[in-house]
Amino acid sequence: MDPKLTEVSQLFERFKAAITRKDYDTCTQQLSQLKVMLTGFRSLPPLFEETPNSVHELTLARDIFEHAVLLSVKIEDQDAFERDFFQLKPYYTDARNRLPESPNEYMILGLNLLRLLVQNRIAEFHTELELLTSTALENPCIKHAVELEQSFMEGAYNRVLSAKQNVPNETYGYFMDLLAKTVRDEIAGCSEKAYDYLSINDARQMLLFTSDQELLEYSKEEHPEWEVKDGSVFFQKAKDSAPCKEIPSLQLINQTLSYARELERIV
Amino acid sequence: MTQDVEMKEQLPQSNSLSSSSTPSTLQHLKEIASLIETGAHAREVRRIVRAVRLTMALRRKLKASLLSAFLNSVLTPGSDAHARLVLYLPKEDEHDMEVDTASSITQAPVKHSLPEIEIFCYLLVLIFLIDKKKYSEAKACSSACIARLKIINRRTVDVLAARLYFYYSLCYELTGDLAEIRGNLLALHRIATLRHDELGQETLLNLLLRNYLHYNLYDQAEKLRSKAPRFEAHSNQQFCRYLFYLGKIRTIQLEYTDAKESLLQAARKAPVAALGFRVQCNKWAIIVRLLLGEIPERTVFMQKGMEKALRPYFELTNAVRIGDLELFRSVAEKFSSMFSADRTNNLIVRLRHNVIRTGLRNISISYSRISLADVAKKLRLDSPNPIADAESIVSKAIRDGAIDATVDHANGWMVSKETGDIYSTNEPQMAFNSRIAFCLNMHNEAVRALRFPPNSHKEKESAEKRRERQQQEQELAKHIAEEDDDEF
Repeated sequence: MDPKLTEVSQLFERFKAAITRKDYDTCTQQLSQLKVMLTGFRSLPPLFEETPNSVHELTLARDIFEHAVLLSVKIEDQDAFERDFFQLKPYYTDARNRLPESPNEYMILGLNLLRLLVQNRIAEFHTELELLTSTALENPCIKHAVELEQSFMEGAYNRVLSAKQNVPNETYGYFMDLLAKTVRDEIAGCSEKAYDYLSINDARQMLLFTSDQELLEYSKEEHPEWEVKDGSVFFQKAKDSAPCKEIPSLQLINQTLSYARELERIV
Repeated sequence: MTQDVEMKEQLPQSNSLSSSSTPSTLQHLKEIASLIETGAHAREVRRIVRAVRLTMALRRKLKASLLSAFLNSVLTPGSDAHARLVLYLPKEDEHDMEVDTASSITQAPVKHSLPEIEIFCYLLVLIFLIDKKKYSEAKACSSACIARLKIINRRTVDVLAARLYFYYSLCYELTGDLAEIRGNLLALHRIATLRHDELGQETLLNLLLRNYLHYNLYDQAEKLRSKAPRFEAHSNQQFCRYLFYLGKIRTIQLEYTDAKESLLQAARKAPVAALGFRVQCNKWAIIVRLLLGEIPERTVFMQKGMEKALRPYFELTNAVRIGDLELFRSVAEKFSSMFSADRTNNLIVRLRHNVIRTGLRNISISYSRISLADVAKKLRLDSPNPIADAESIVSKAIRDGAIDATVDHANGWMVSKETGDIYSTNEPQMAFNSRIAFCLNMHNEAVRALRFPPNSHKEKESAEKRRERQQQEQELAKHIAEEDDDEF
């Protein structure tokens, strides 16, 4: 076996051991070393050269990046997740015909969908979705993310929150927690438009707080315009005052003049 | 996706060809060749465009014997190009060929062949091979031709080259190997850009977009599209395609308003004969309009020749219009194979949300006060906790401005507000403005389209007249510029 390859696999083994030990500082260090070493292989993307070891090298590299993605979830670093995922993606798309399928593929793709949802990047979410086959869409990991997006768009926030109980994989927990925060902000935004007032008790339940104190702090920080009195939260101030009655005269003059000019050109 | 190519490519092939027409077709081809020659010598692209158009009319009449006779007459027999091209033609009519060779040598004195003629021969052979479904030969032939095109740098070849790029991509698509040529197309696009070959750029950009979209690579397609140079369209067909691809990309990225504009424009600009293409455009446009919350008129579905193809979309629209989730689900299921063939399945999943919105809007218009439990029942939400779901759905709809109401949490009901008088707002003024802007824009574009092609009337005009005209034009330009300055 190629000595370079052996070296990488040995380091990779140590890296995996460090992950199980939860020694994340060593992990990140070893990961950067691994990434540098991977650049030495000519069979990896973007070159994709045919070498005698290419299948082996590709599989190893894919494994490394898969672990890198999972590591970034564990150390809760979203930027690292994005970077590592994009490095991993060519192995799923362009190298599809050269490699046996990875058991982690759908789980990681689902994680990525969830990340896009948390960051509210819906356009990218749908772009990624188009790349999946119909069999992939049936996979529980992917299905989970797709259903979440639907409930989210509809406004059925209860369903989003209850989905937290049946996550398909424990790594999903981190993003689901983030999602809960996003959902709270959404609910707060909807409530102030939809209700005139809410009793503190109801508001606490709706915004998923465990104590009234937390609710008061949240409203002070995020929504200072909310008014709390007589055991209720009033949203009156957040609402728009009467519709603007002013005539947008400058804009109208501009428009009319431009019609006149265009008409003159026609005649 | 394939339909819009099929519209042009799968013309019925007439196999029975009377022998009397053969010489006349050959004659036609020779005329076209001479047209190309004059065009090449005079450096007039216009003539070559006409030649290509005439060739397409002869397409059905192409036969192996005819082609070899033509090759013999315009290319030097024994030359490289000739030898290469003859290889691709089937050998079955060898007998015919010999006769033709003999006659053509005696008839036409062999001239020095131009690169334009050589490329034109490639084009003919390629079209013939594709029509006869000999795809592997077609692939070999097109690849050889593309290699040749990379070396030739003449503006008069560009028109022919653009056609060849198209067939090059087509024969790879027909065999399902589009991914293979992506790198090559990108290289060709770069070459075309460096040579200022705008028609080539236009064609290649479309081919690349098609290539990416074939594999659902919307991200890459959008990145390429947004960075590629844009200019005024040279060919209407290419422009239609571009608009269609653009519309698709924007739909996926949830920019529905822009997507609708591109798709409707593509459907409107497409030639009447391109039925398959127009059907595709309409399908996408219908979905995009539904996603925007509009309900397309019935006439959209009744267009000539489209009733059957648009039937599933008609039923879908109906379900969205009524706001019935149950009906929507059954329609989506009933036609799911069709939707997945159109690759619109994911978009239809997105529609569910609109169905709920429409239902909710109907409820809010009909009732001034309704309990949330009834809302959940009417919307047929099947969930473990329908009232809480209904409440959050209603409050989101209120925030997004879909309905004008308030929710009373303590009593568990929704109170609709009185609908305001729309004429007291700026809404009518805005609608009026957008319509006028559309009409004026249409007029300006029509005027622009009526202009003469550049240089086409130069020869008739004397130097003095030209000076006079230029002066006038300058004055006019100054005038317009001043007018623009006047504006505030």
